[in-house]
Amino acid sequence: MARSVWKGPFVDSYVLKKAERARESGRHEVIKIWSRRSTILPQFVGLTFGVYNGRKHIPVSVTEDMIGQKFGEYSATRTFYGHAGDKKARRR
Amino acid sequence: MPGKRVCVGAITGAYGVRGEVRLRSFCADPLAISSYGPLWCDRARRNFSVTITRPIKGGFLARLAGVDSRNQATDLCGTLLFADRSMLPELKDDEFYHSDLIGLEAVYRDGARLGAVQAVLDFGAGDILEVRMENSKDTVLLPFTAATVPTVDIAAGKIVIDPPDGLVPVSVKTEPR
Repeated sequence: MARSVWKGPFVDSYVLKKAERARESGRHEVIKIWSRRSTILPQFVGLTFGVYNGRKHIPVSVTEDMIGQKFGEYSATRTFYGHAGDKKARRR
Repeated sequence: MPGKRVCVGAITGAYGVRGEVRLRSFCADPLAISSYGPLWCDRARRNFSVTITRPIKGGFLARLAGVDSRNQATDLCGTLLFADRSMLPELKDDEFYHSDLIGLEAVYRDGARLGAVQAVLDFGAGDILEVRMENSKDTVLLPFTAATVPTVDIAAGKIVIDPPDGLVPVSVKTEPR
């Protein structure tokens, strides 16, 4: 069942505080968080979070199209390396 | 990049009695494996022209030039197939093949070394470089962005990094050579 709209999106309060502090400082830093369940809010766009996957913090640079998703969706808990083949990486 | 080869697939088994093989593609577009010209075999020093015949579960059926019997096909089971790097199409600016990035040395702006790129990952939030630190088994994950990786110099075999605070442990920074 979907979450009731009147509640608003769920975000752990410490994530909000950390993000606010990082935005005020204006420094180029990674905000380490353990809260995979928190929703990505519009005020997080442009920040880089280190989202814990149970072993390490995966860097997640938040962009506009991630708003409304959860942080955990961008921090996989299992890694399959496979072969490089002809796969491409794009520098953003 | 003359001479360099990239692993693009593997022969996983024989099919039928006429020398067809089961082929697994490691390419982003699996069908592209047949467009990279003759593929080199990792065991024998020979190459094959590959013709895909049809898709099957987990890969394709393919015909290899010069392989006409099941015995020949069975002998090739488990073989990795490599394409010449020069056969891969040119990319746009700010696009790089994973195979080019893997192995590059990661250095800071001041010349201090961090380690070598071990893998390129993508969990949905953009590409991430996994750098194995020098004299350690530990790895560091760096977002592949212009801010964090301002320079990629494949010819020189290095990337210049400017990681955000808190991503790399301070103690691992080594002096320039």
